[in-house]
Amino acid sequence: MTSAPPVLRLTNIEKIYQTKTIETVALNSVNLTVNRGEFVSIMGPSGCGKSTLLSLMGLLDEPTSGTIEVDGRAVTSYSDKELAGLRNLKIGFVFQSYHLINDLSVVDNVELPLLYRRGMGSKERRQRAIAALDKVGLSARTGHFPSQLSGGQRQRVAIARALAGGPEIILADEPTGNLDSVMGEEIIELLLELNREQGVTIVMVTHDLQQALKTQRVVRFFDGSQVG
Amino acid sequence: MLRHLFTLIWNRKRANLLLISEIFFSFVVLFGVGAVLITTAKNYLAPHGFNYEQVWRLHVRAGQGQKMPRAELDDVLRQVKALPGVRTVALTSGNVPFVFNTNNSVFGYKGKKSPVTNVYDADDHYAETMQMPLREGRWFQSADDGSNHRPVVISQDLRQSLFGNGPALGKIFTWDTPDPNPKAQDEFLVTGVVDPVRMESDFSAPIPSVWLRLLPYDTTHWETANVLVRVAPGAGGVLQEKIARTVAGVTRQWTTEVRVMNDDRLHRRMYTLVPVVGLSIIGLFLIINVALGLFGVLWYNISQRRAEIGLRRAMGATGAGIGWQFLGEMMVVTTFGVVLGILLAVQFPLLNAFDLPVQPYLLAIAAAAGAVYGITALCAWQPSRLAAAIQPAVALREE
Repeated sequence: MTSAPPVLRLTNIEKIYQTKTIETVALNSVNLTVNRGEFVSIMGPSGCGKSTLLSLMGLLDEPTSGTIEVDGRAVTSYSDKELAGLRNLKIGFVFQSYHLINDLSVVDNVELPLLYRRGMGSKERRQRAIAALDKVGLSARTGHFPSQLSGGQRQRVAIARALAGGPEIILADEPTGNLDSVMGEEIIELLLELNREQGVTIVMVTHDLQQALKTQRVVRFFDGSQVG
Repeated sequence: MLRHLFTLIWNRKRANLLLISEIFFSFVVLFGVGAVLITTAKNYLAPHGFNYEQVWRLHVRAGQGQKMPRAELDDVLRQVKALPGVRTVALTSGNVPFVFNTNNSVFGYKGKKSPVTNVYDADDHYAETMQMPLREGRWFQSADDGSNHRPVVISQDLRQSLFGNGPALGKIFTWDTPDPNPKAQDEFLVTGVVDPVRMESDFSAPIPSVWLRLLPYDTTHWETANVLVRVAPGAGGVLQEKIARTVAGVTRQWTTEVRVMNDDRLHRRMYTLVPVVGLSIIGLFLIINVALGLFGVLWYNISQRRAEIGLRRAMGATGAGIGWQFLGEMMVVTTFGVVLGILLAVQFPLLNAFDLPVQPYLLAIAAAAGAVYGITALCAWQPSRLAAAIQPAVALREE
């Protein structure tokens, strides 16, 4: 019996930002494997390359060298269209500053990833968005606009949006960074619950050690390199 | 996706209000210019109803305090007609084609009222000189001398307004407000019908017209006479000089001015072309301004929405998809402006504004909508490409 491939595998990843005068090494020889159902925290000081790593894992950026595998398939040579399709189907994103569209209602925001899914009707989109909002306890706020919600509620909407597409992995970039400790705790509990009860794989960038220690594995970065 | 775009634009209606107003006003300007151009072009392409080529206009003056007895005038006409190169000669009123001289009135027939109708005096040779083909009946002739009513020829559009589809020949109509004791010359007997005519300019619409037969005693009190002369092809200055000498030779006091009808036509059309070209240039500048405005607003819009672009890319949008989305949004905004514009524009045909037919208005609405969509698509193209090229990782990090 062969075991299932990891959801994400990064091999010898190097990311260099180059301008005419300066070359900045953001990531250097990074090797990281994320298994299905894992909750991994990535920690490190500002500027150590955590967000760059998350962008690469989320297929939003290309590495300068190295290989990224999703479900055992190398995606480095995928076209823009193929990568977009993969992001839509397999990955959900949660950002520190929520990135909600202020002119769309809560439910319309949650529907956003489903808009880019071929063959899905508006009725199904709406049902899935409401179900996702129900999971995060915001089904009563579907018609509200982001400006009418608290920071914690906004982050819940962002998590519902990440969940709506039924992704295999959620990439969370400092999801509690803009929240007070109580709300931050709520969000971490929600993510833990999603991981525990629904088996969603989560990779979370955080500065908070207490939060990181609640996850299954902590990966530490310093100056673009993995240190632990 | 279209529904999503409509929702997005509707929710941003305040922010898009200026853009929608700009598009609305562009549409209205383009509709106005389009309606003028289409009407003008449609008129230009329609037949005049007569042949102005090789026709000269003589303006004969009797001199200070002198009158024009018919016998002397007939002598002048006979001698001019006898000149080599002259084909036919006709006596008419001063409102000859392409000059700023109008004589119009309203007529009535059994309670029906005609629209404002151009009234021309014409002798028995007018149709031959102007090469006006008759649709029905005949032109005047000497047999009409004994008629109890004044013989007239009417244009098809006047015929329709007075007699509809019923027979017109032999019918008698009058001025709209006839004299209680009408004279025979105020009762008009239809002897013929000609095609609609456009005698004002190349760009004018046909106007209902009637030609009243010049009666023999009509010229006795005249001080000037207008004569139309059809000449042979190639006739020029030499013949013009001969005509002037011939007129002067009959009566020493009489003078004449010879004008080529085609020159009058070319001169007259400038009075339409100049304002139409001016209007088009103003419209063009306005549209260029609007286009630049749209371009700037879109450029600014995209720079303000970089985070949203990054987010959409993260959610599964392709770069090209983002470009199409911005283009689509612009089309939706345009649709709001165009729909408002159409609501205003359709009032013109509904209210029969400027007495124009419906067709040019509908064509102008279609042309203005097409042009506005074209301009906005063109203006949105480059900013949309710019949006498509934004790197999602960079855009997401910026906020």
